[in-house]
Amino acid sequence: MPKLLGVLLIHLFKSIYFWVDSMYLQQIVEIFYISLITVYIIFITTFIYITAKGKREIATDGGSKNHGGIEKSEKIWLGALFIIAVIGNIIFLSPIIPSIQYNLYTSEEPVKTIEIIIEDHEFILPENPIKLPLGEPIEFKVYSNDLTYGFGVFREDGTMVFQMQVVPGYENRIVWIFDEPGVYTIRSTEYSGPEHPYMVLYDVIVVGGD
Amino acid sequence: MGLGYREKLALRYVLAGVFWLGVAGIEGILMRARLLGYISDFYHPEEYYAVMTVHPYVGIYGWAYMAVMGAFYYLVPLVLKKNLYSERVANISFWTMFFGVLITWLSGFVFKFSALYTLYWPLPVMEYPANSTLVFSIGTIMIFASVLAFFFNMFATIFLPARGAGGAGYVAKELLTLAFNLDKLKAKTKGIKEYLPRVYTYPVFVVGVFRGCVDTTLNAIVMAGISVILGVYSIANLIGSAIPATVIDPLIYKNVYWWGLDLIADGNVLIFTAAVWYFLVPQLVGRDLFGESLVRTVILADLVISLFVWNHHMLADTPQPFILQIQGQIFTWGELITMGLTMFAVLMTIWYARPVKYSPALLAIVLSILGYAIGGSAGILQANYALNRYFHNTQWIIGIHGHIQLLAGLSLTIFAAIYAAAPLITGKEMDRKLAYISIVAFFVGAVVMGLAMGLAGVSGMLRRTLYFNGEYFGYMAVAMVGALTMAFGYLTFIYNFVKTYGFKTVINIFK
Repeated sequence: MPKLLGVLLIHLFKSIYFWVDSMYLQQIVEIFYISLITVYIIFITTFIYITAKGKREIATDGGSKNHGGIEKSEKIWLGALFIIAVIGNIIFLSPIIPSIQYNLYTSEEPVKTIEIIIEDHEFILPENPIKLPLGEPIEFKVYSNDLTYGFGVFREDGTMVFQMQVVPGYENRIVWIFDEPGVYTIRSTEYSGPEHPYMVLYDVIVVGGD
Repeated sequence: MGLGYREKLALRYVLAGVFWLGVAGIEGILMRARLLGYISDFYHPEEYYAVMTVHPYVGIYGWAYMAVMGAFYYLVPLVLKKNLYSERVANISFWTMFFGVLITWLSGFVFKFSALYTLYWPLPVMEYPANSTLVFSIGTIMIFASVLAFFFNMFATIFLPARGAGGAGYVAKELLTLAFNLDKLKAKTKGIKEYLPRVYTYPVFVVGVFRGCVDTTLNAIVMAGISVILGVYSIANLIGSAIPATVIDPLIYKNVYWWGLDLIADGNVLIFTAAVWYFLVPQLVGRDLFGESLVRTVILADLVISLFVWNHHMLADTPQPFILQIQGQIFTWGELITMGLTMFAVLMTIWYARPVKYSPALLAIVLSILGYAIGGSAGILQANYALNRYFHNTQWIIGIHGHIQLLAGLSLTIFAAIYAAAPLITGKEMDRKLAYISIVAFFVGAVVMGLAMGLAGVSGMLRRTLYFNGEYFGYMAVAMVGALTMAFGYLTFIYNFVKTYGFKTVINIFK
């Protein structure tokens, strides 16, 4: 029986791992976030219920204006918030998230550099389609000759792979490793006047097509 | 119903704010209808983006600022048992703000100025006729002039011992000393161990007001400066001596802009909200604020942190120094701590006062805490360097973070203040049943709308992009249901107000 339970648990963890692994990062964040706010909603609903019905208690600080010191419960809560902030920063600065891994932790030289110019609401591409290898670091350098634009790469289902701002007069650079073969769309992700929504080039990046 | 000058003034501000909230709501519904593919025959991208440009000015300055100004003009003198420093300035400030918002709105509605509130350089001076930029600049200068006049009046009311005693220098010195606890610092350098900062002589609500005002004053100065730059460029263009846009560096401009703009999020949205909670909750539950000592420190921490968080808006700008981006990320997590402690103090105050009766005002506050938790968590997630690469400029930011914070969080706090203060001012309470319906509908609508927008963002929908082929239709349809639910809550509030106080009173307030 315990052996069977062990096998089942391993299968369950494997399934969860593969399920999570098959998701885009945004979808993982979405699930985490929805779970978090569900907890908030349950907590506040319960809080309202209890505080409306409960019995009066004597306050630990006696309800008095105490100008010094800090409550024990405040200390605990402050500590908890501090730990959450530290853990959050550690996670989001660690290489487990691809965006930071490619730009901070990968020492590999990019195998290809793609230079794109934007001018008068038009993308000027070095080639069309842009052919890129799968699983290799690619450097994108995007320049604007007039306004502030954005540079975003999107999958066929519309989800975003990555984006950055394109500030005029500066080299706007990002390194990315595509881990899925396919065709990708480029879209400006920053507003630049009413022509902005037309700044989209469908299926102009082909990854792993050779 | 005989109302004094201060009461009339407060209600005038609040009602003007409620009017602009309605305008912002109509704008939102129009934009949503366009995203759903309707009204496309007459609502072209030019109109769509003109509305999107004025929408935050109408919502933030027209609604939130005017309502907050009205509330503070009434509450601060009441709490301090003092007269308002200048009724005349308060009155001028009202009309300057009202017409400032109106002119800004006209710059979009009539002149099609549509550089959005971000005004990224050099878009406002390169893509629009000089007259449209000039009208926008005049409108926004009036808005910020009104805001600065309000702060001057607040600071003078709080810090001057009596009218005519001391001048601007005295007020500024008092403000800096008390806002940043400089007297405690001085006492420490002199080796005085047991020293109670002078800030303790002020009620915690007033401390929140003046510390929040520091942020919002700096915000108004920066934003007014940008409006003046736009005005100068427009006038130079109109007289035929165009100034090259290259005079201003777009990245430095963006840093200054976001430093100034983000202060509104801390000053108006977080610190003012905290101040209102600290004031109202003890009154509503009949108990002193829990952990007041820490709460005062938290307001100071919030003020200091707010000066260093602007970089979370620039995480997608790769030319921005990396160290600044990481600094922005780390400081933003500081807001989790300060806001978390604020919520804790408020909830503990309610907890120790139980059983409590959930009046409309108290329910609105507790729901606004939930709104801030929902919107704030989304904000903390997106404000990380790594995740920002996937969320920047998507609907996630403006939906879950922006709109839920502003509507379910800030707006419900303002409604709480209205429900609590209106009976004090008028001697009459609004219908409770209608008030509950209004609050719950507004909250549920705001959360449904914000979540639908945010989840569209997860699927790749950008916040400032008009889609033409029915992309994200399902998400936008749900968001529309949320928006209409909120509109129902809003209209219920209007009906309740007019039913309780009558049209005559509403008209008298403006006489």
